[in-house]
Amino acid sequence: MQNNSTQPVRIELDKACREEQFDRAEAWFKNVQLTQASFRQLLEDTVEKIEEPHIKDYLHTMLEQARAHETQAEALFAEIGCTPSAVRATLGEFLGKGRELWADIIAFSGSAKGPWQDLQQLYIANLNSMSAFAVAEQLGLALGIPAIVEITFGVIAQKSTDHLLLQECALEMCSKSILYHESF
Amino acid sequence: MEEKKEVSSSNRGFTIGKSPIRATRASAEALKDAAVPARPVIDPNDVVVPDGYEVEVVMTGLSFPTDIAFADDGTVFVSEGGSSWPTRPYMPARVLVLKPDGETEAISMNVQAGPRGIAWRNGELYMCLKGGYHMQIARYNLQSGELNILIDKLPSGGWHEPGGPLFGADGLMYFGNGSVSQQGVILPAGFTVDMAKHPLAHDVPGQDVTLTGNNVWSRDPLKPYPYLTETGAFKPFGVPAQKGEVVKGELFCNSAVWRSKPDGTDVELLAWGIRNPFGMALNEEGELYVSDNDFEEKGERAVANDPDRIWHIKNASKPYGSVTTPDWYGFPDICGDGLPVNHESHLPLKGKAAELLLQDPPPWAGPAAFLERPHSCMCRMDFSKSDFFGHRGELFVSEWGTLAPLNSPRPEDLDHGFRVIRVNVKDGTAEPFMHNRSMGPATAQGSGGIERPVSSKFSPDGKSLYVLDFGVCQVTKGAMFAFAHTGVLWKISRKEGYHAK
Repeated sequence: MQNNSTQPVRIELDKACREEQFDRAEAWFKNVQLTQASFRQLLEDTVEKIEEPHIKDYLHTMLEQARAHETQAEALFAEIGCTPSAVRATLGEFLGKGRELWADIIAFSGSAKGPWQDLQQLYIANLNSMSAFAVAEQLGLALGIPAIVEITFGVIAQKSTDHLLLQECALEMCSKSILYHESF
Repeated sequence: MEEKKEVSSSNRGFTIGKSPIRATRASAEALKDAAVPARPVIDPNDVVVPDGYEVEVVMTGLSFPTDIAFADDGTVFVSEGGSSWPTRPYMPARVLVLKPDGETEAISMNVQAGPRGIAWRNGELYMCLKGGYHMQIARYNLQSGELNILIDKLPSGGWHEPGGPLFGADGLMYFGNGSVSQQGVILPAGFTVDMAKHPLAHDVPGQDVTLTGNNVWSRDPLKPYPYLTETGAFKPFGVPAQKGEVVKGELFCNSAVWRSKPDGTDVELLAWGIRNPFGMALNEEGELYVSDNDFEEKGERAVANDPDRIWHIKNASKPYGSVTTPDWYGFPDICGDGLPVNHESHLPLKGKAAELLLQDPPPWAGPAAFLERPHSCMCRMDFSKSDFFGHRGELFVSEWGTLAPLNSPRPEDLDHGFRVIRVNVKDGTAEPFMHNRSMGPATAQGSGGIERPVSSKFSPDGKSLYVLDFGVCQVTKGAMFAFAHTGVLWKISRKEGYHAK
């Protein structure tokens, strides 16, 4: 460090240090995009499969929120001077389709019928994307950027609420799917 | 529930060593356009101090700093990082070193919660570290790099903080350890922070106590459904106490203050019942004073209008080794004003009113040397010992500032703290010494002044007061957010030619 001891010392606030940490945060924000796109894609497809009107309504409302959360994931990038990744969003949609396939395999081996296993996968996918947003929030605090926290806090709160709903529906309907082999 | 008393055999200490730090110099003008959005401006001109004193910025970009220490040659040490308040995000746990020639380095350590209090003595750095089920006191030799864990049996893992370490003219080491519980029993709120990591942690008394059996009912966050559970004083969460049950007092307790030899041996318990003895200071007469923070007005054992306080630890004036019974300062049943927590003046507007936990409690060691407005959050402090600086014999106390509206529903609590006061401990009065033009944190006012003072220490020559500013911590009714890289080390000096009164 240049020795000019009359001037204040700044710790890890030089341009190079900040940009290095922004680059690393950008890589994580791409993961946020990916996990949220994956969740939204799986949710879109699951809504179509469910016939029970109440659960269909819950998930349809959740889908509208998931689309808004995807937009908010993209907004994270601007706070560190970057642009969102189109590739990660597409890859996320692909992974969402992959989870449906995985749900079919588990349903077959676990004697479950109907869309229940998609619901169970949604529960896990939401937790995955919620934790990705939560990590982004911690990065916002660590970088000293309130705008990142303002974006993520509301998303995490909503996804936490969604998590309770998905858990409740998945646990509630498992008996119908596994013991009675009925769809809903 | 299983007890967790000893450190795991897998815990072999932590690695520590000197490392470079990415530090640059910035002009005072450059600080008016700082690189951190959470604290965009830092400007000494926005800080108010009495006539005859001037304020300058020494360091910026600090991440959740907790304490200051000095070597005899003027080297400045600042502890920062780890998991502090709230416990996320973790920032590198280290002690920053600023040498008299302007060079910087870091003493970095691989330990989760990090250093909370530091003191320099004879070429060695002493540190109080929080983290895990036990608070530790460690000694690091700055020349050899040798680390010794001096004490690792202090029950911790919960809400409150270590105090000290500090050294008296008697050569003894003084230190404290705050309560595990926030409100006298372990409650669900703790599981959003430290209790998630330490679900078996609990308070330990410094004397034998008999319990009333007034347990606290709460939601059980450890269960998947909204079950209720019952928790007693000095018990892990979910374990009720029985009426008339006796809990044995222990030397290694919490909500307490001790002294020992500098190597951590011959530990003597001076006092307990001090909720959060984070600030500790000895005056020129060798008298020990300890800051303590009030109960919160929320949750399942809420207490209103409990004043922050400074206790005079009278046992510290007795000869070393002669204290047979520690003094008790009131936690978990007596407020700073000496009234019980269930007194009508302490009934809460928010949360469930507290009941007494101790049957036939020990004699109360109050009254306090000084009472401050609730939620001012008095922290680390130091006595002026210099006629040049002025106010010799007065105690300069950092006030971190309120967490209202999170911990109090009262509008009058919203701007308490966020300043440094000077306290006359002999007559219990105080005057503001360092504050913003309007009370409250600078960023809430769009100014470049102080946010949350966490430690105030005089330089070895006594001529300058260094004030460590924790940085930006935003609070809402339901959450708090602390932003890294927003901490500042300020220095207050007397202007040349000014004669202090």
